[in-house]
Amino acid sequence: MATASPANPLDALDPALEHRVRLAIGVLLARHGEISFAAFKQQLQLTDGNLGSQLRKLEDAGYIALRRDFVERKPVTWYRLTATGRKAVDRHLKALQAVIASAQG
Amino acid sequence: MSPDRLQQDLDYVAAAVRRHDTSLGVPAIYFLWAVLVPVGFALPDHAPTVAGPYWLVAGIGGGLLSWWLAVRDARRAGINDTADGRRHGLHWLVGGIGFLVCWLPVLRGAPIEMAVGNFLLVAGLVYALAGVHLERPLLWSGLVMLAAYVVLTMFALPYTWTITGLAIGVSLAWAGMSAVRAARHAA
Repeated sequence: MATASPANPLDALDPALEHRVRLAIGVLLARHGEISFAAFKQQLQLTDGNLGSQLRKLEDAGYIALRRDFVERKPVTWYRLTATGRKAVDRHLKALQAVIASAQG
Repeated sequence: MSPDRLQQDLDYVAAAVRRHDTSLGVPAIYFLWAVLVPVGFALPDHAPTVAGPYWLVAGIGGGLLSWWLAVRDARRAGINDTADGRRHGLHWLVGGIGFLVCWLPVLRGAPIEMAVGNFLLVAGLVYALAGVHLERPLLWSGLVMLAAYVVLTMFALPYTWTITGLAIGVSLAWAGMSAVRAARHAA
């Protein structure tokens, strides 16, 4: 997890969100609240295995939580950001801004 | 992390977010109101006494059915956006209060024409603002209502309500068909 105001902006980046798929998952959940596995698969254009693996890493980090439900008799898994995940996404995006600002001089 | 890699990652995230931002609304809701509005708008011209009760039932019933259709569509699409749902709910709740307030002058003895004129003005504003803030296709329906309000107030032409209702019905059906086409294209 990132520390506050490090000397090198790159150090503030969260390793769990450095992968672009995990960052996209975090940003989409921050914007839309709750998203299903199938919707992520369509929006991010990933295979089941790849998406499942990225979601599991975020779940292991405590950044997302899931719930299982049925929509028209079909099982659906819904994902949402936890409070820790929301703070982590916010912190990571701020760190990205700092990286871009430092690269621009 | 290199600047090129960072740029590629941010482009990927931005593209994923943009794909989610192209909501054109729920086609079934457009088609529902494309039927309810022309019937309800024809009533002041052909059976004015039925217009109030019709809108009381069709307005509340249509609103509840629209809410159910929106929830069903969100669950099918796999996006349960509670903040967006609250925004829609608050918008149409405020609109509903506006529609009810339109009838206050009648309770104080004003002619019913005044209430139905106010109803058209409020409906035009509610739909046009929904088009600005929520779903763009509703903007055109709102503008048709506001234009009809001007015609009704300034010229008092015959069958203005019926013609306005038909124009709104066509614009809502068109919005519904556009949403269906967009959904098929996205799939």
